[in-house]
Amino acid sequence: MRNCEDIRERLALYLDNELQGDERVTVEAHVQSCFSCAAFVEKERAFLNAIRGNAPAHTASPELQAKVKEIMSGSKQVAPQPSRLKWILPIAAAILVLILPVIVWRVVRQYNHPENGTPSGFALMAAESHLRHSRGQLPLEMETTNPQDISAWFANKVYFNVKLPSYQESSGQEKIYTLEGARLVAYQNDYAAYVAYRMKDRPISLVITSDSVARPSGGEEIASRGLRFHFNSIDGLKVITWSDRGLTYALVSDLDERGQQSCIVCHEGTKDRDFIEPLKPH
Amino acid sequence: METVGENSVFETAALEHVDALYGYAMTLTRDKTEAEDLVQETYLRAVKAANQPAPEGNLKAWLFVIMRNVWLNVMRHKHNGPRIFELDGDEQTSGTANDATSNPHVVYLRKLERQQVHDAIAELPDAYREIVLLRDIEGFSYHEIATVLDCPAGTVMSRLGRARGRLREALAVRQKVQRLHA
Repeated sequence: MRNCEDIRERLALYLDNELQGDERVTVEAHVQSCFSCAAFVEKERAFLNAIRGNAPAHTASPELQAKVKEIMSGSKQVAPQPSRLKWILPIAAAILVLILPVIVWRVVRQYNHPENGTPSGFALMAAESHLRHSRGQLPLEMETTNPQDISAWFANKVYFNVKLPSYQESSGQEKIYTLEGARLVAYQNDYAAYVAYRMKDRPISLVITSDSVARPSGGEEIASRGLRFHFNSIDGLKVITWSDRGLTYALVSDLDERGQQSCIVCHEGTKDRDFIEPLKPH
Repeated sequence: METVGENSVFETAALEHVDALYGYAMTLTRDKTEAEDLVQETYLRAVKAANQPAPEGNLKAWLFVIMRNVWLNVMRHKHNGPRIFELDGDEQTSGTANDATSNPHVVYLRKLERQQVHDAIAELPDAYREIVLLRDIEGFSYHEIATVLDCPAGTVMSRLGRARGRLREALAVRQKVQRLHA
């Protein structure tokens, strides 16, 4: 059981529904058994209810609502004019006839080869987070080159343990990438862990969540060392997703290497030979 | 990749947030006419950008981001700098005001009159008023607020804590004055 001081630091997050999993259960259990903290929570709830219940409620005037509707209905005017439509429709029909066999072939192929399906939502989120971070729109909340600092930083923010791979250090290979830092990203009404690396002056992103929240799927599937890796190409990025010991990972990069070859860039260390051999193209 | 959408689905969904956006516009501008202009400009930009990827599929947060960016541009032209960010320096140096137990008047909050809350919120610095609206009135999560404000989640937590601390103090003072005049 944590002491009251530790719990009080988390109560604002608890009252704002920002705690999940074990962290939330711990705080709730303490509040139920501690008179002082229960009184504190009651006072805080009263305060927040007073703010939320009495805050000014603004309503857009009917005139403003009408103007906004007009603006929004204007968005429909992008549809082609009838005079153009007269030509476009037969052309579109002809194109459809031409490409229909291709569409049917792709649907049938996907049905027979589900491993080549669309990327998972988690892979898409990881790719988008990578792009936003690359553009400076997703700044890191903590910066460090030490994997242990990252694990410690996430300890009270996500309900799963973030343990970063340390094969670069354990394999004794030349240091070819560096850890930069981390932040939280939202996924499925929860937080996932976002970790930023850099290699050859190019960003690499690792996004981690619980495997109860996301499972790897889609893309090309390859088994190695008891794990199943899914390789996707999303918006020109290489995205690799896999699950291991209760966590699901998505690794995103814009490395030139194709699909699974991008794994080999980091895992070329001698101890990883058995790991990378199945990943090499045949 | 998921996009904001098109045609009537986007239109219907976006129209649901007119009141919320007007409230945010009033918080930013404190002026009815400016707020109405800001809402219209926000929807104009939204229509133009309707085929861009939606931020994690959250249309409401996306509209708030657009509104804030429009407002920051307006402020840059008016004052050569965004007024809304002036508080950030203050956050680095001011002490915490987050401990409700040190304030004995908090117990009277249940009896607060609506006008007192209105006045206390209205008197908050811009950035504090904004974050109270986003969290306590619009119900955005910390992550969504971080997206709207384009800042780390840690800044959201600290700024919200300080904003609520200021509100507690302001409301406690009003309670004290009320009791003295009772």
